[in-house]
Amino acid sequence: MSRESLQTIIVWTVSLLLFAATVVRVSGRGGPLLRKPGTFVDHASPGAAEVRKVILLLPRVEPLIPRGEVVTVFRPMDGRSHNDHDNYLAAVGLLPHHQVIPPFSAFHETPPEHLAEWVVAIGEPFVHPHYRVVAGFPEGWLYRVAR
Amino acid sequence: MNDLVWLASLALFALAGLVTWRLAEIRRLDRGARASVALTCGLVFGAVLMYAESVAGIPWSRLTLGLPLLIIGAAAFRRTPAAAPFEPARWPPLPAAAFAAVALVAFHAAATARMTIGDLLLFWGPKARHFFHERAIDVAFLKFPHYYLMHPDYPPLVPLTWAGSSIVVGSFSYWGAVYTTPVVLLAAALAFRGFAAGTLGARKSAAFATLLLTLLVFTAVAANTAGGGDPYLVLFETVALSALTFSDTRAARIVAATALAGAALTKIEGAAFVAAMALSLIAVRRWRTAAAVSIPAAALVGSWVGFANHHGLLDGYARAERQLHLGNVGLVLGTAARRLGYGAFYLPWIAALATLVASRTLRRAALPLLVGVLSIAYSLYFYLNEPDPAWWIRASVERVMITPLMCFVVASAACHPELVNGAGRR
Repeated sequence: MSRESLQTIIVWTVSLLLFAATVVRVSGRGGPLLRKPGTFVDHASPGAAEVRKVILLLPRVEPLIPRGEVVTVFRPMDGRSHNDHDNYLAAVGLLPHHQVIPPFSAFHETPPEHLAEWVVAIGEPFVHPHYRVVAGFPEGWLYRVAR
Repeated sequence: MNDLVWLASLALFALAGLVTWRLAEIRRLDRGARASVALTCGLVFGAVLMYAESVAGIPWSRLTLGLPLLIIGAAAFRRTPAAAPFEPARWPPLPAAAFAAVALVAFHAAATARMTIGDLLLFWGPKARHFFHERAIDVAFLKFPHYYLMHPDYPPLVPLTWAGSSIVVGSFSYWGAVYTTPVVLLAAALAFRGFAAGTLGARKSAAFATLLLTLLVFTAVAANTAGGGDPYLVLFETVALSALTFSDTRAARIVAATALAGAALTKIEGAAFVAAMALSLIAVRRWRTAAAVSIPAAALVGSWVGFANHHGLLDGYARAERQLHLGNVGLVLGTAARRLGYGAFYLPWIAALATLVASRTLRRAALPLLVGVLSIAYSLYFYLNEPDPAWWIRASVERVMITPLMCFVVASAACHPELVNGAGRR
């Protein structure tokens, strides 16, 4: 066998192996395989189920918050706000007409005058003496401050 | 449907890139390669135009973006001296079918959200969307201290071009951003094939292009790169490296210089790639080419750093003076080596390097090999600048090493025995 033929065989063999590995990797990320998923992250990683909630929820709460108002977004931990960078930074892109600020603006220790006007709580309820529920959805709740 | 229209707006950039078809050597490429070169260069023209308009205070609109890009593209239709009849290297049917199958898997993986990068939601998407709404590079947004994690001085090509697409369509599309990934990976492989065909012939160039596309798609899925900057970076790098490996003409230098400028304006690693390319060209004694292809990128990065400095945005580019943590060498190498199997027994590396082993000489492959080795070196160097880089390596090394993998496929193609014998030349 000539060196040239050997090289051609190698190229097609490794291409085929890589192709098979790609198909296995793609199909291994859960079904259904032929239906467009609800969000653009659905099958990307094991943690996608958490991320998809913020993607689904924020377009629904967006019309309820006047443009330009201050909002913070997080997934509560034991009912309280915490430094949830992922949901907060995602909200910066998903709420482009609002001023999204970090979750520390809804800590229990935050002085009332510095509290964010609106809170979007992802996944579980937010419990805070200065906030009242405005709307609820399967993926979370919208709250407004009551100083 | 809106997402697909958003994706189709890439055609506006490709239209501007048609001006590259005035170069005789580009006109000789097959249709797919020509279209890919047009898209590659058009993305750079579009981003530079949007950057310049933003600096000049001209708000982006369909008119202020569309008209200049169409005028640039229209130059392609000015009369050119008649060229000698030339038949581009056509795709043989079987390799074409294999290539199409890989492309189909890539589009499927993107369309079913199986390769989306988290940074789309946290970083690339928010920037593009705010630039779109501001109709300019939104300096106030970038300066907002609580958005520091979005890296205020990061090179802007991807958010710029996505903002451009959003202006054409009237809204931003996260799905559209994901769909761009298979398009740019396909363009990278098609452009490679076009430049390689003149040296390797139709069949071999098609085989290596299929290998390259399969490698790019596998690593994009394994490392979740869709909707991020890495696919754009690999497009610009592939076009530049392919042009300069398989040719040393004026046309190749112009396309490579444009693509390298695009790389430098896409990610910080892009500027390092330009430096690696320039050093490698000098090492193979192509001094003039090194200068010619790296100057536009250097000027563009310099301008962007100046812009960032002027507006108080400097962050990543200001880290050059940070301390090296040489005690982390073992940690960096060990953590990287564990991740770089890609969960597939190092198959991407085996695929990229296997044909090199069967080659008689590596001389023809010196340029892509050097660039590949240097790109590994600068990636590891970046990690050594962090006091505790383990998390960063785990999160990124599979993505950043796509560049050397691509370089090694180009090297494998370049040192093909047929090329050494001269028998592959058309």
